[in-house]
Amino acid sequence: MNRVVSRHWIFLGLFVLVALTMGSGIRLDTPVSDRTAELYNFIESLPEGSMLLVSFDHEASSLPEIRPIGQALLRHAFRKNHRLIGMALLAEGTAIGYRLMQQAAAEYGKEYGKDYAYLGFKPQYIAAILSMGESIPATFPEDYLGRPYESLEVLDGVATYADVAAVLSIADGSLTTHWMEYGRARYGVRIVSGVTAAMVTTYDPYLASGQMHAMMGGLRGAAEYEDLIACPGGGKRGMLAQTATHLYVIVLIGLGNLSYFLARRKKEKR
Amino acid sequence: MDVGTAIAGVLTLAVLSFLYRDNPVYKMAESLLIGVSIGYTLVVIWSSTLVDLLFRPLFLDGMLPLIIPLVLGLLMFGRFHRATSSLSRLPIAVMIGSGAGVAIPAMLDARILKQLSATVMPVLTASGIPDLSAIVIIGGVVTTLCYFYFSREHKGALGSAATVGTWFLMVFFGTTFGYTVMSRMSTFIGRMEFLLTEFLHIAN
Repeated sequence: MNRVVSRHWIFLGLFVLVALTMGSGIRLDTPVSDRTAELYNFIESLPEGSMLLVSFDHEASSLPEIRPIGQALLRHAFRKNHRLIGMALLAEGTAIGYRLMQQAAAEYGKEYGKDYAYLGFKPQYIAAILSMGESIPATFPEDYLGRPYESLEVLDGVATYADVAAVLSIADGSLTTHWMEYGRARYGVRIVSGVTAAMVTTYDPYLASGQMHAMMGGLRGAAEYEDLIACPGGGKRGMLAQTATHLYVIVLIGLGNLSYFLARRKKEKR
Repeated sequence: MDVGTAIAGVLTLAVLSFLYRDNPVYKMAESLLIGVSIGYTLVVIWSSTLVDLLFRPLFLDGMLPLIIPLVLGLLMFGRFHRATSSLSRLPIAVMIGSGAGVAIPAMLDARILKQLSATVMPVLTASGIPDLSAIVIIGGVVTTLCYFYFSREHKGALGSAATVGTWFLMVFFGTTFGYTVMSRMSTFIGRMEFLLTEFLHIAN
């Protein structure tokens, strides 16, 4: 019973902490890490009008973390006047990706069909990635809205990965691995990604071995990216709460260990 | 407040109510999530797989070779009856055979060979100073592999190397756990932001 009660106090503490920090309106300064700066520099270095293939490889459950990441990357790409093709390798990411692209495009006055297009979902991710390497129009004869591929101005001349500057995988799982294993290894397309924090350690070895060109991770990565593009969003807003909750967890771990050692000592004395 | 925001807000609170204890409101939200997710996925897969990749090209465009995957797909349903269950082995064999053929070389290259070549690096920088990160990476790979070498008892030099390997593993587990905590907190913060701003209008 005591354990249940203490658990509730921990949850309540977390709730109050997040509510207070979110309500305070204080924006925390976040030094930009080399990893995030590398991704920013990569998108920045591409010639204006470069074609980026943005793949929304995530489920709906990770939206709170994926949204700031996606928004920051899409805003930067649109601001640089790059052309974007959106798609999804997971069914749940399809509508979310379309909405994110629409919102970011509207902010920069971009027109559907002319500046960006959304191809929608393709099942069997390995087959989809390999098929796009042979022909993107054959893989997606129509866009998400049912319009023929050829009718979209932005897709004019885009046939394979050779016509794409990079694939930008926004992921909460292992799908970016497949982009590297099949898209990069077989067709040589550059892979960059924005991933949830839980996936950072999975992708670090790929980044270190040069299989992934650049990456940003988690809400922290989104906040850093927002700083770089001077466009504060969900990442910046959540940083104070994130720092506070981390400190809270550290304090709880400390208290847990302290109580464990005190209890053990008491037991030994008996 | 639009209907979508109101529904999302109420359902978020319903899910968070589990933190107090299991209750019917939480169960309703959980069932709704499962139902909607499956329904949405089924509709998307029906339209983008069966209609776009099979029915339309086969029946409208006359692409007859597509009869083969159609028949293989139908054979999968053989599993539902004991008399026909053996028929499902054929599509499973095709899937496993082609899947393994495609995946093994790609995985071997990306997950082993490329990672291995990234580990083989000079331990000295161009100016002759030891490269600490390279030394740590090489040391970490070698000692961790020693830990997973089970053909000899972990004694002497092998035992010491294996112990160092476990330290590297612990650091990895700790980092991964830390990132996972960060990810889960981000998800909670994201929902709290939604509740406080869009749903309850308490914060800006």
